[in-house]
Parts: sequence; structure tokens; C-alpha cells
Amino acid sequence: MNPADVAQSVLPLTSSDLSLFTLFWHAHWIVKFVMIGLMVCSVWVWAIALDKTVLYTRSRKSMDRFETAFWSGQSLEELYRSLSSKPNHSMAALFVAAMREWKRSFEGSPQKSFAGLQMRIEKVMQVTIAREVERLERRLLVLATVGSAGPFVGLFGTVWGIMTSFQSIAASKNTSLAVVAPGIAEALFATAIGLVAAIPATIFYNKFAGEVNKQAQRLEGFADEFAAILSRQIDERG
Amino acid sequence: MQMKTASVISTGLHIAVLAWATLSFTGKTFEVTPAESLPVDLISEKEFSQLTKGIKDAPKPVETPKPIVEKKAEEPPKPVEEIKPKIDEKREVAPNKEVKQEAPPPDPIADKLKPQEKPPEKQETAKAEPQPLPPKKPPPPKPQPKKPEFNADKIAALLDKRDPTRKSITGNELNSAPSLGTASGSAAQLSQSEIDALKARLYALWSPPAGAQDAGNVQITIRIKFKRDGTLATGPQVLTSGSGPVFNAMRDSAVRAVLVGQPYTMLRPDHYETWQEIDFVFDSSKMYSDIPVRRQ
Repeated sequence: MNPADVAQSVLPLTSSDLSLFTLFWHAHWIVKFVMIGLMVCSVWVWAIALDKTVLYTRSRKSMDRFETAFWSGQSLEELYRSLSSKPNHSMAALFVAAMREWKRSFEGSPQKSFAGLQMRIEKVMQVTIAREVERLERRLLVLATVGSAGPFVGLFGTVWGIMTSFQSIAASKNTSLAVVAPGIAEALFATAIGLVAAIPATIFYNKFAGEVNKQAQRLEGFADEFAAILSRQIDERG
Repeated sequence: MQMKTASVISTGLHIAVLAWATLSFTGKTFEVTPAESLPVDLISEKEFSQLTKGIKDAPKPVETPKPIVEKKAEEPPKPVEEIKPKIDEKREVAPNKEVKQEAPPPDPIADKLKPQEKPPEKQETAKAEPQPLPPKKPPPPKPQPKKPEFNADKIAALLDKRDPTRKSITGNELNSAPSLGTASGSAAQLSQSEIDALKARLYALWSPPAGAQDAGNVQITIRIKFKRDGTLATGPQVLTSGSGPVFNAMRDSAVRAVLVGQPYTMLRPDHYETWQEIDFVFDSSKMYSDIPVRRQ
């Protein structure tokens, strides 16, 4: 019996029409599920990557702008008044939180409580930093998960596809390459998609984690400096 | 909002990449240049021996005289006439030789018998009926015309006139030189397959003692005399002299192998003369390798 005929009868794939669509279409439904899941992961990874890239560049630029405004000798009251309505970035949020606590201690209560003000301001700023960092690194875990688990999921699809293709080979009682090749190509397609999803995810995760770390450090530095300024103010007034 | 636009852009990019991949991802079929198949026949040793065996009435001997005719072609008709009878006679010579020894004796006996038979027949026929006489007269003339063909003088005369190259090949092997001059008229050679078969048989039966491999290169030559049926004519005769327990054990083992191995049917009785007496060399260092077989 001609191996090509066997291949045509058992597996409807022939080497002539090994397009991606036929590879996907003739796969087992579990392999299909894996492929679709990995495709969705890839889409999601790239969406997060685009979002984060835009977010971090915008955040970095606004920080630069705020720092130049902060150190320009402008009155902190004015700065607070302009930003308090909508703190649109992390450093502004930090500044607004600290200033609000400062103002509340001075203006709100009749007796001025300077004793715990320093500690309160630092506490508020720390909480704000934590919240801002959390906002920056939101969804980064998705990238980490896809980057580490994607290849395994793809490998699972491949193993499953090869298992089913071996069953087909056993059924056809023919081990010629024309019979074996389409099933294995179809199975390997799952690993390919897994790698396609995982490689960018890993790269973006490393890049973004570094970026988040840098911005968090910058926030910490600003918080320390601002806390020092406020502490001097408290000592002067008290 | 930001995430939504990013998702939309990502999805669009993926669709574009997939579409491009679907269009461009086409496995090119490997062009396999069909290799020309070599027909291989597997033949056994026996078939190989038969292949190398010549056929007595092969067409080749008839064709060989032709070039000689062309050489002498200055007078075309004469050599043709000369050669034609020679070939005819030559063809008869080969079978004659085999019968030679047998054919002459029956003639005198027949001659003696004929006169003996004739008187009683005559007496019987005289007594009984004269009719059976005519059929019995024809037989006597029949041997008489044959006699000139069997005449040894004529054959000798023909042989003297001829070049040895003109003689037809009657040997057992293709392309072998004619061996008409020998008594056997067969190829004076053991074929390689026969040698290998004999070697394989004897080496399979020969089991040197365990320590023999350390003893190094020990060669034991044994003279074997065969009968025509492949059995031993006499006991194996050890030609190599030596001493030591290892040598003794190997020598005894070799003698045993020769005794156990008979009858050696792989040796063809056609050319019994070639293997009537063989000096076989058992070589401990060359087990299963090329062992020389010398013919005495």
C-alpha cells in the first residue's frame, strides 16, 4: 500500500496543505483549546506591554515635570492648590497626601499637635508609595505567569497531539514519514504558540519589573526629602 | 480606558501577524531525486560454484576458431573446409576421451561374442527358421563404421596438427585455459567457495583449549587424504611438530575436528584430484580469518 494513500485516508493532512489553519483545524480539541488559550495569553501579554510602556513613560515624564516644579522655588501651598484637585501621577499623589496631612494638623484642629506630625506624615507617604507602586506593577504578574507557564502549556499540547498522532499511526499500521509528519507538525504548533506567547512575556516582565523598581526608589527618595523639609518646618514652627 | 485601547491594538497586531503567517507558512515539499536502484541477487556458495562452472557444450569453443579463419583469410574457402571437419571431430573427441578406456575393451569382447553367438544362432536358425537371420545381420556392421571414429591414431594426428589455442574448452571453469593434455580434463583448482566451506567446517569443529589464545600464534598443519565420497582415506597426519600441553591439546583437537567433520560433501567429486590430499593449516591466531590451504 502506498504510504501517501494511507496518510490521506487516516490523517486528512498531506504535506501539500500544511498551512497554519489546517494545522490548527485538524488538531485534537484539547490541543485546540491549548492553542486558543495561548493565543489569548499572547494577546493579553501584548496589551499589558503596550499599556505599561505608555504608563511608565508618562509617569516618568510627569515625575520629571513635578520635580522641576517642586525644586523651582515655587510655593508649596500653590503647588498643593494646583495639584490637590487631581493628582494625576504617583509623585503628585505622594506630595498631595503629605501636604494634606500637614494642613490638617495645622488648620483643622484647634490645638496644634506637632508631637506625632512627623511620624504621621511619613506613615501617610509610605502608604501612598505602596499604593502607587501597586498601581504601577498591576498586571505584571500576568506577564510573569505567562512567561513561565506558557512553554509548559504549549508542551502539554504537543505531548497530547503526539499521543493522538501516534494512535493514528498505530491505527494506520504504517510508520512512513508521510503518515507521521503531519501529526507531529500539528502537535509542535502548540509548543510554537506557547513560545511565541512566553518569550515576549518574559522579556517585558523583566523590563517592567526593573522600571517599577526604579520609579519606586525615586518615590522613596522624594518622600525622604519631602519628609525632611516638612520636619524642618515643624521644628521651626514648634 | 488605557487598557482597552492597548488590548484592541494588541489584538489587531496578532491578527495581522497570524494572517501573514498563514499566508507565508507553506511547507515546501522536499524534492527527492529518485536514485536508480541497483539490482542485487543473493546467491549461495553452491550457486556461486555452479556459476563459475563451465558448460561442456557452451557456444564459446565454436566461436573461437573464427578469428583464426580471418587471419588466414587470404584463401577463404580452404581454411573453412579445413576447420569445419576439425571442429566436428573435436566435438567428438571430448566425449570420446571419457569413453576411451571403456570403449575399446567391449569391441573385442563383442567381436568374440559375435562369432560365438553366430554359430548357435546359425544352428538354431538352420534347425528352426531362416527368417530371423536378416535382422541379426545388420548389428555386426554397426560397430564397424564407429571404429574409424574411435581410432586413436587419427585423434593423435589431429592433435598434432592443431595449435593448442584452437582446442575447444572442456574445463569446469569459464575462461580457464584448456586442459586437454591432462588426464582428468578438469580445472586443477579448488574454487574459493569450496575452500571457504571446508575452512568453515573445520574451524567450527576445532575447539582449541581455553589457554590457547595466550599461547599466541600456533599453527598446526594436518595432511588430510580424502576418498572420492568425501570421507577420509587414511587418518589425519600431523605434519607440525611441537611440544607442550597447549600444543598437544590443540593438535588433538584439530585431529578430532578432521575426523568428526567427515564426510566433506562440499568438495565436488568432479575434480577429486585437486582435493585428494590437502595440507590444512589450523592457525590459532587467525581463527575465522584467511587461512591458506595448500594443495600437495
